[in-house]
Amino acid sequence: MSTQPNDIETLVNRRYKHGFITDIDSDSLPPGLDEEVVRAISLRKNEPEFMLQWRLKAYRHWLTMQEPDWAHVHYPKIDYKSISYFSAPRSDKDRPKSLDEVDPKLLETYDKLGIPLHERARLAGVAVDAVFDSVSVATTFKAKLSEAGVIFCPFSEAVTKHPELVRKYLGSVVPYRDNFFATLNSAVFSDGSFVYVPKGVRCPMELSTYFRINAANTGQFERTLIIADEDSHVSYLEGCTAPMRDENQLHAAVVELVALEGAQIKYSTVQNWYPGDENGKGGIYNFVTKRGDCRGDNSKISWTQVETGSAITWKYPSCILRGENSVGEFYSVAVANNMQQADTGTKMIHIGRNSRSTIVSKGISAGRAQNAYRGLVRVMPQAANARNHTQCDSLLIGNECGAHTFPYMEIRNPTAKIEHEATTSKISADQLFYCRQRGISEEDAVNMIVNGFCKQVFRELPMEFAVEAQALMNVSLEGAVG
Amino acid sequence: MLEIRDLHVRIGTTDILTGLTLTVNAGEVHAIMGPNGSGKSTLAQVIAGHEDYLVTSGSVTFLGRNLLELDPEERARLGLFLGFQYPVEIPGVNNAYLLKAALNARRKERGETEIDAFEFLQLAREKMTLLDMDPALLNRSVNEGFSGGEKKRNEILQMAVLEPLLAILDETDSGLDIDALKAVSKGVNAMRHPDRAIILVTHYQRLLGYVEPDFVHVLSKGQIVRSGDKSLAIQLEDMGYDWIREAAAG
Amino acid sequence: MSSHLIDFALLEQAVHNLPGDALHPVRENALAAFGQSEFPDQRQEDWKYTNLAPAATLSNAWLRKRSSAPGPQPSALLQQQIDQTVAEIPAKWIVIANGFVETGSLRDLAAQQPAGLTVRSAAESAHLPTVVTEDVMSRFNATLIRDVLHIQVAANQEIDEPIGILVIDDASDETSVTQTRIVIELEENSCANFIELHATAGSNQQFANCVCNMRLAQGAKARYVRVQDRGLQQYQVGRLTAQLERNSELKHAAFDLGGALIRNDIDIDIREPGASVELLGLYLASGRQHIDNHTRVDHCVGPATSREEYRGILNDRARCVFNGKAIVHAGADGTDARQSNHNLLLSDRAEIDTKPELEIYADDVKCSHGATVGQLDPKALFYLRSRGLDQSEAARALTRAFAETIVERTPVEEVRPYIQTIVDRKLQSLIDGEPE
Repeated sequence: MSTQPNDIETLVNRRYKHGFITDIDSDSLPPGLDEEVVRAISLRKNEPEFMLQWRLKAYRHWLTMQEPDWAHVHYPKIDYKSISYFSAPRSDKDRPKSLDEVDPKLLETYDKLGIPLHERARLAGVAVDAVFDSVSVATTFKAKLSEAGVIFCPFSEAVTKHPELVRKYLGSVVPYRDNFFATLNSAVFSDGSFVYVPKGVRCPMELSTYFRINAANTGQFERTLIIADEDSHVSYLEGCTAPMRDENQLHAAVVELVALEGAQIKYSTVQNWYPGDENGKGGIYNFVTKRGDCRGDNSKISWTQVETGSAITWKYPSCILRGENSVGEFYSVAVANNMQQADTGTKMIHIGRNSRSTIVSKGISAGRAQNAYRGLVRVMPQAANARNHTQCDSLLIGNECGAHTFPYMEIRNPTAKIEHEATTSKISADQLFYCRQRGISEEDAVNMIVNGFCKQVFRELPMEFAVEAQALMNVSLEGAVG
Repeated sequence: MLEIRDLHVRIGTTDILTGLTLTVNAGEVHAIMGPNGSGKSTLAQVIAGHEDYLVTSGSVTFLGRNLLELDPEERARLGLFLGFQYPVEIPGVNNAYLLKAALNARRKERGETEIDAFEFLQLAREKMTLLDMDPALLNRSVNEGFSGGEKKRNEILQMAVLEPLLAILDETDSGLDIDALKAVSKGVNAMRHPDRAIILVTHYQRLLGYVEPDFVHVLSKGQIVRSGDKSLAIQLEDMGYDWIREAAAG
Repeated sequence: MSSHLIDFALLEQAVHNLPGDALHPVRENALAAFGQSEFPDQRQEDWKYTNLAPAATLSNAWLRKRSSAPGPQPSALLQQQIDQTVAEIPAKWIVIANGFVETGSLRDLAAQQPAGLTVRSAAESAHLPTVVTEDVMSRFNATLIRDVLHIQVAANQEIDEPIGILVIDDASDETSVTQTRIVIELEENSCANFIELHATAGSNQQFANCVCNMRLAQGAKARYVRVQDRGLQQYQVGRLTAQLERNSELKHAAFDLGGALIRNDIDIDIREPGASVELLGLYLASGRQHIDNHTRVDHCVGPATSREEYRGILNDRARCVFNGKAIVHAGADGTDARQSNHNLLLSDRAEIDTKPELEIYADDVKCSHGATVGQLDPKALFYLRSRGLDQSEAARALTRAFAETIVERTPVEEVRPYIQTIVDRKLQSLIDGEPE
């Protein structure tokens, strides 16, 4: 019976639930990176020439770049030569046509993660394009989607089946020379998801992908491209979890969203990569570039993220609000516990007239973790009547963690209206005592307060995700108070 | 119901309670009075199980159980309620949610089923009417942005819904205007019951004009220096605490 | 040695050519430290929005022909302006002209024999206070300083009349570079008010680099108003460092109206419990003015309070920068830090870059910040119009009110009428527009 902060911290220390390694032989390239590796990746995936050339351009540009060091995170230098840039489950050559053909070991893995494909997908009406390591292994509900004209397939399949779409949109939001990690991804990306929603179509179901890192020393470089054609709607869910491992693993994904006139894209993420142990050993380096382009008038892109995992998170899902009346949203909960470091936020670039953006960021720090919000709101001279509202709140649990806020506002239009607010609070011993005096256990009280703090973001998540996210928060902060 | 024997309590290096003895039986209303710094609030906090206070000797039993070895939530679930002098604000946590969670924790302890949402709302609204409370307060965050009077009424509402066996109200009357004081008193009087005991911790006699105590105790320097019936409170009001101090010293 | 926008060989030579006075070792040390540091450029996060290259170019030109730099004696023009300004605001005035403490003003002050107040010039008295050189521009300042103004307020003394410091530079016929250094020490439980006024005589380009180092001992209280009303060709870099000891209190207000390129840094170091600081700022920019305010409050211990509010109104092609940083260090429990920045843009070519930052390493803290950029409140506009004001009258009234919220809180009474006058003048031209 104690509400001292250090006791509060011991409550969190439950072992990572998803920490296990599936025993499957991987067909991997040897570690290291040069032009031959890039060519080998392209060759294995039977890519057309334009893809190879694009990868090579990116690789050559990458050689001229330096790893950024401006984020509020600290980690040992990554040895890019020790990473294997391609790995695929052995059963890759004869890809499964249905779930029955999927390696039972894989299905078992998903079961352990609480993602029973065959049951849950059907029950929830969710089409799942599951990425296991680097190659997609199962896709369901294809018929229903193709009826509506929606293309939802592994990226590698899109490259061969819909090269004209890939060629037109790949790199149009995140150019291959964008930043160090995005450029690396452009050179060596393995696979990911591709979505195209045609004009006027409301995608009949939530689309989701579960990512998973396996195979030792394998960095993972997903590439996702979602195109919402005029007046279409799509909601995409992405969830991650990764097995326990001693060595740090690099994860440098790129997500590009394109919303044409009147289109809406909702992109939700629950990120729960392995965060490392209590002492900061192991854990994923999550260096992700996510960007959406509201290319058409009246378009809307909404990012919602719940970030509880990874040793280091470096991630700024952004919106380029090019269209008139376009809308960008960013709702984020980032939890950092133990030795985790998170540097996350968003960029809202207002170009179109009457463009509007909303940012709600909730950062929770516990243990010895560092949690930083970094955001940019830029209003270009032509963006008349641009509006932004930013709310940025931090919750501290214990006195060894850090919470930081770095909002950049660059405003060049006199009719813009920009508001930024930030607050910091803590879970106080008084609050916990008050709840306990009413008969509520300390752990429940912490969960109650944390979930109350995050409410504004959780309600933006699709229903089934919201429940998972809430549960995940409770697991992530176990031992943070106690 | 509650037996306190020769209780010594320390905070940091300061002794606050220095041998306090008190017996409270079901159906009784006790008032504990005393000047600032006499240890009134400490007594309330120690009974509820606040960790900042160190019990160096003595015993506290509640319903025959050793209270001092129980966590605060265990004490609460047994039916012990503390109305806080300074109710805490908990941003983001819905007032109704907290109340329902607290009620269910108590019901579970008693082997009862959880209350359903409809029943709960009915119960809460009924009690709020009694206390003359704005029903909108139920959907706000716990105590956040509440006025002083609203916070104290909210404490009484929680007591009314949780129906404790022993309620300790710490300075519940302080900072209330006359209307709020009447509403709070009405709420407390409605709780008087042969199975329930109430301890009013107060600096002034004011509340006791509305809630008539069976016993009045005067606390000074960590001990009960005088006990009596309600006339003691009136005496105190007339003569002030110096009179007790002198009497105690003499 | 790192690369410099400043021609280091020229600088070295200039330093060696200066007289071997008491400040000589300070300059030599600063020169070595300056050589090891990077001159500000826009790749540095702290200088992201402000390009100091024109000031470096000017400095190099000045170093090349510095034999003709203005000497200790102010020109007639300068003297005329000094007399005028000093007469306008009631205070005990000390004048720093072209980086030299003017001896006449020192003598006048000494003649008054103010109890508990000691004011000295390093050049005059060979007395040398500690000169802080932690950042690159303070180092540049110390490399070329010719004088230091040292003000001490004795323990338990309350100085009633404000202490005025007029920092004025001659830009009438020379391209000049000046370094001003002020050291202020308030001993235990002392109390004093300060007015620091920056002005230029003449309309040529000039680069002024002013550093003020303050220390407030236990229980000391200072109110400080800095007014910068330089010529529109002026470059200025200014830094205030303040150490706050137990229960001390600093109320500071900064008004920036003039200058072509202005950069102000305020570093508050709360090193003992119970201290409190209030930072107010108003910047009014038009034409192609560039005004950059950086503030940093280090809460090293708690409890302590910091309050900050900066406001700006921008017209034409003006660009302003606000960067407010509050750092709550580990263990600084009981910190209460609030910060806000509000801006009005009146033109579609003006730009504001604002960044209110929080870095928090303790949990028992109350911190908040806010920033807004926007137009006048349409509801307030409507209200005024419904009371019979026309659109432009109503807009003027609200723009004035926006600035007034800072002016009315000017912590030193005596200077408020003066500020009111110059703010009104500037607002008039801001609202009505002025030729670029």
